[in-house]
Amino acid sequence: MAERVEVRQSVLKENDRIAGELREALAARQILCLNLISSPGAGKTSILESTLDALRGTSRRVAVLTGDIQTERDADRLRRFGFPALQITTGGTCHLDASMVRRALEEMPLDGLDVLFIENVGNLVCPASYDLGEDAKVVVLSVAEGDDKPLKYPGIFRRARLMLLHKIDLLPYTRFSREAAVADARRVNPEIEVLETSCLAEPGLGAWLRWIEGRLEEKRQAGRPARV
Amino acid sequence: MHELSIAQSIVDSAREHATLNGGRRVVRIGVRVGEISGVAVEALEFCFGMTVQDTDMDGAALELERIPVRFRCSRCAHEFHPVEFLGQCPTCGSDGATMIAGDELGLSFLELE
Ligand SMILES: Nc1nc2c(ncn2[C@@H]2O[C@H](COP(=O)(O)OP(=O)(O)OP(=O)(O)O)[C@@H](O)[C@H]2O)c(=O)[nH]1
Ligand SMILES: [Mg+2]
Ligand SMILES: [Zn+2]
Repeated sequence: MAERVEVRQSVLKENDRIAGELREALAARQILCLNLISSPGAGKTSILESTLDALRGTSRRVAVLTGDIQTERDADRLRRFGFPALQITTGGTCHLDASMVRRALEEMPLDGLDVLFIENVGNLVCPASYDLGEDAKVVVLSVAEGDDKPLKYPGIFRRARLMLLHKIDLLPYTRFSREAAVADARRVNPEIEVLETSCLAEPGLGAWLRWIEGRLEEKRQAGRPARV
Repeated sequence: MHELSIAQSIVDSAREHATLNGGRRVVRIGVRVGEISGVAVEALEFCFGMTVQDTDMDGAALELERIPVRFRCSRCAHEFHPVEFLGQCPTCGSDGATMIAGDELGLSFLELE
């Protein structure tokens, strides 16, 4: 006779456990961790290139882990800015999981960093399920993809703290409605923050860079021991 | 296609529970799959079959319970399945509703022999 046992736990319990350890390791060093997720080609690496370029003249120390199914190309692009960048080649897997990040961090010391960026594998579905220990998931939606994506891929818009409406310079050449995209994203996730960005033209990445500073400040305030 | 790794996680968790319960055989696993969990049910069933084949869990059944997206009206507490995530309450017309179900991906039960 079979016996039925109730089990209430996430299917991804082991991933979540490792992500929890990563989150603690990052918190102990007050490092902000951002997990960038988008469909292939939306502009994750380009955004990170411009971000690293902007940060190299500052006192901020950052590093990037970048996930790719096949190649080392994104890490090669990102290493040109003098910050550590490590490729995680998943060999077919369509997302990063926490154990891949943990393994990569064995080769990339966290000490002294302010921000750890993770570029996920280009995919709007699978990466949404995996906690990597990040402070926030950032979904990049480029205007060439169409404004219907938030309702078609609700999972990631639900879990992201920030949506970047990227390649906004292309707006005049598309039928993308920023109002519709924002309204739909907020149906799925009323709290989602939205910024418009472009790597090639105005308004640039200023709002994104300020957002990162804001989150870093927030994390350091929260991590500061209460005064007695 | 991350259903293969999801299937592997399900099998690993089930095996862990079976071991803790005196090493019994797992005959059925219940899993709750939310509508926006990002998991394709058919692909998961297929991958599960592949994962347990020729193992101690060969022949175990996977029982998937699909959980539709549900909103609760913050004014009248009515619960409804929204059309395209539209938060407007069909009962009182109010616009504020919060999502209360639909993104789960969890084990719910095991049957052990
Ligand atoms: N017009 C325009 N093109 C951009 C912008 N940002 C990136 N691109 C172009 O978009 C293409 C893809 O950019 P990537 O940065 O490689 O995109 P990705 O998201 O990293 O791609 P995967 O890693 O393959 O998923 C490149 O040809 C970029 O030059 C932008 O702001 N405006
Ligand atoms: Mg890239
Ligand atoms: Zn109502």
